Amino acid sequence: MNKILDLLDPLLILSATLMGVALYLIFIWVPTETNQGAVQRILYFHVPVAWGSMLGIFVVSGSSFMYLLKKNEKWDRLAVASAEVGLIFGGMMLLSGMIWARPVWAVWWTGEAKLTTALILFFIYVAYLMFRSYFPPGAQRQRLAAIIGVIGAIDTPIIYFAANLWSQAHPPLITGPAADAESTLGSDLGTVLLVSTLAFTFLFIFMVQTRYKIRKSEDDVVELKRASSASAMTGVN
Amino acid sequence: MSNVTNTAIRVVALRIALAMILAFAVSISLTQISSAEHTPPVNGIVVGVETDDDGALTRFAVSDSTGTIHTFTIFKGTEYGLENQAGDRWVSIQEAEPSEAARRLRDHRERFAPITVTSENGTAFSVVEREEGKLETNLGYLFAVFAVTWALFFAYVLYLGRKQRVLQHEIARLKGASGK
Repeated sequence: MNKILDLLDPLLILSATLMGVALYLIFIWVPTETNQGAVQRILYFHVPVAWGSMLGIFVVSGSSFMYLLKKNEKWDRLAVASAEVGLIFGGMMLLSGMIWARPVWAVWWTGEAKLTTALILFFIYVAYLMFRSYFPPGAQRQRLAAIIGVIGAIDTPIIYFAANLWSQAHPPLITGPAADAESTLGSDLGTVLLVSTLAFTFLFIFMVQTRYKIRKSEDDVVELKRASSASAMTGVN
Repeated sequence: MSNVTNTAIRVVALRIALAMILAFAVSISLTQISSAEHTPPVNGIVVGVETDDDGALTRFAVSDSTGTIHTFTIFKGTEYGLENQAGDRWVSIQEAEPSEAARRLRDHRERFAPITVTSENGTAFSVVEREEGKLETNLGYLFAVFAVTWALFFAYVLYLGRKQRVLQHEIARLKGASGK
């Protein structure tokens, strides 16, 4: 069996290198924001992990859709791997957001649209993985899980546009096509955010790849057990 | 056997559906409560203080960074956490020291010291020093984000590593048992 968790994987090395560069940029290079002070640097973690959690549900949705079309196990494995990693990123998005909210809003949680839709995304991941762990293995489980995965992606555009649609405490979009020109980041802050986002994106891909391989091994174990019990039955007969 | 399995599947599916509906309902309720009652905290400087005949604070006004004036009324449970120029913190509620709050806010107005006010429908719930805006005091939050982020990553990597070892062992055992 090949080593699944390969610490010399080029993706991991690339991610670690970019992460090192991002850390230098975040803590040494980029100027301190005048309104919030040092705590504003949480942005360079919060936005990339939020991006990772949304990327995760896109992959879950896309691969679930492909599974429904092709009925190929590899799409199902990719959906599971992405959901699990997406859950980790989603949890980090919520936690980092809460820790950031405390000093700048004086509360841990406000329950406004942006935060609530992000929490729903977290619940979607939890529901998807709970469904898979409770439902007996087989084609029916994979089909129903794929349907949940496809439906789950509906939340993503709502999260993205929530701050612009319902203007509350969460700042409006600073990146992407719907970002307001007045609220976009300056070039220095934008550069740091880009490097940090790239680092977390490569980390996301590495983690999904690793989880995918583990899932493949789990399927191999099931196959081996099936073959083993079949040969035992043949021996008995 | 098949009927038992099907019943179990239905029960599990029903539980998951109920859990999802509950989670969704809670989230929607939170949003509705939020949009109905919650007002984002206001950061700014004190520009007006109003007292009654006994000198007890009744209303005050804050100007935020855009120049918008926010007026807040007080109730007996309004909480205060304000510092004087020397940095000594005064923590109290309106009911306990009604005139001290007015004095402290006037002091803040004279010093242009920023405060943070949380409120609902124009009634101030808490009036605190905007200490979080100071560069030296919010590093703890930054550290907390780092610690949580990396602890989660490492926990997940450890989980993957453990899973990998179990699988390797299982595959070796099964291959050994089948004589491959």
